[in-house]
Amino acid sequence: MNDSMSIPHLIMNASGVVQFVMLLLIIASVLSWVVIFQRSFVLRRAKRAHKDFEDRFWSGIDLNELYRETPAEQETQGAEHVFRSGFREFNRLLPKTRNPQSILEGVQRSMRVAWSREEERLNLHLIFLATVASASPYIGLFGTVWGIMGSFQSLSMTQQATLATVAPWIAEALIATAMGLFAAIPAVIFYNRLSAASNKLLGKYEDFAEEFHSILHRNLQGRGDQDAA
Amino acid sequence: MARHDSRVGYGLPVALALALHVGVVVINVLEFPTSDEEQSSATVVKATLVSTETTTDQAQRAEAAKARAADRQAQEEAAAERQRQQEAEQAAAEQQAQQAAEQEAARKAAEEARSQAEADAQRRAEEAAAAEARRQQEEQARQEAEAQRQAQAEAERKRQEEARRQAEAEAEARRQEEARKQAEAEAEAKRQEEARQQAAAEAEAKRQEEARKQAEAEAERKRQEEARRRAEAEAERKRQEEAAKRAAEAASSSLDSAIAGEEEAIANARQAAQASNGFKDLVQSVIEQAWIIPPNLQAGVQATVHLTLLPTGELVDVRLVQSNGDAAFDRSVLQAVRRAAPFREMQDLPPAAQRDFREFNLRFRPEDVR
Repeated sequence: MNDSMSIPHLIMNASGVVQFVMLLLIIASVLSWVVIFQRSFVLRRAKRAHKDFEDRFWSGIDLNELYRETPAEQETQGAEHVFRSGFREFNRLLPKTRNPQSILEGVQRSMRVAWSREEERLNLHLIFLATVASASPYIGLFGTVWGIMGSFQSLSMTQQATLATVAPWIAEALIATAMGLFAAIPAVIFYNRLSAASNKLLGKYEDFAEEFHSILHRNLQGRGDQDAA
Repeated sequence: MARHDSRVGYGLPVALALALHVGVVVINVLEFPTSDEEQSSATVVKATLVSTETTTDQAQRAEAAKARAADRQAQEEAAAERQRQQEAEQAAAEQQAQQAAEQEAARKAAEEARSQAEADAQRRAEEAAAAEARRQQEEQARQEAEAQRQAQAEAERKRQEEARRQAEAEAEARRQEEARKQAEAEAEAKRQEEARQQAAAEAEAKRQEEARKQAEAEAERKRQEEARRRAEAEAERKRQEEAAKRAAEAASSSLDSAIAGEEEAIANARQAAQASNGFKDLVQSVIEQAWIIPPNLQAGVQATVHLTLLPTGELVDVRLVQSNGDAAFDRSVLQAVRRAAPFREMQDLPPAAQRDFREFNLRFRPEDVR
């Protein structure tokens, strides 16, 4: 009895549907942990990069110089990306129109596009975590229900209904639920954690975009005054 | 600008996730298996189990005996093998020694022959020298005779010229004769020498042949001896093997027959019991399902009850035949019997069988039910 009730033995002896459910849950768990680790690294790195960039931006450096220092368009990330697209748009529009309002609108638009790209980058795969978190308990429950159905079917064939005839079936069925919870709990916790971190970071980008916008506005205002004068 | 070139890859996260899962699995496998106490079996199976236990026990003993016999046989074989090897080594050493002796003998014989040949040559030389001396002597004598004859013939040379010439011719002839004789003698001596040498060589060859033959005979004898010994060893080994096999066979056959007999007996008993068991088991299981076992029982309590039934299956009487003395337990058994009655299955039995089941005993043990 000792051997036949061990977890590996139970898994091996489970019915096909239950085994399939277990396999699905194991894959979901592995993938969710991959996403958890990968997103954690990405967010930590993005946070550090944002801090560095803000330090540089507010260090009183000339904006043209900062723009030249930043690398090419595809490689920039985070606030740097927002700054770059906004400043490029500003430089392009400046010679074409004299109207500060339209320049600022164009800058804002391009910064919003860059910001939404950043949002997409930071929230990548987090939806998968949410899916695993919400669906895997149900999948596990399905395996359990199926296993218990099998246990009752086998129970109908025996003359005496002892606990020993039902116990392995129920134990094996409950493993599926356990696996579902095992996959779901870390997924829930880390989904909340990671999405909070990513939202916080996106909020910082937005703040930065506003601040940058106000700087450009101030510059244009001065110029408009000069023009008017 | 280190932060720009580093998009986070998936290699490390995948490795970490897999390591985490493997760790969880390992912890589970190591810790989780918990022992569950032994499950007691149902009544019918238990009845057969007792006898299968003994048969398996005997079979195990037979297996063990067989294994021991095989072991012993293997040991004997190994010992015989070692002995054979030793013998072979000894034989090889003897052969080597014999070969050395033969070589020594051959060498000695060759040396002897050589020394003999040397002696022969010396003798021949001596003979030649003696012949020479004799010839010289004769020559001298002849010269003297001639001188004498000259001195004599000085006077009567003319008269005896003829005679002298004749004598000279005679002497010449004689000398030639002598030389011829000598040559003949020499040739004879040489021929004899050659013949002797040939004879010696032949003798030598014969001796060598003899020695070779002897050696061959010896070798042949030894080979035969060896073959005989090996055959003996083989026969011995075979005999032992045979004996061991016979012993094992005897043991196993006796055990097999014992097992077979026992199995047959078990089968018979089972067949005989099956008819009654069918109904009795049914009754027992019905009663056991109706049985409320009191808690806190001592280990090993049991009760045997005597049932009296009508042909319709109604319970006429139930009484305790034997119990371990736990009153509550006994009461629970009796209550269970009364609750389970009537046993309508009785009506399904053929009338002949019904008579057999008017009265019978049943034994109840809590560990059978559980």
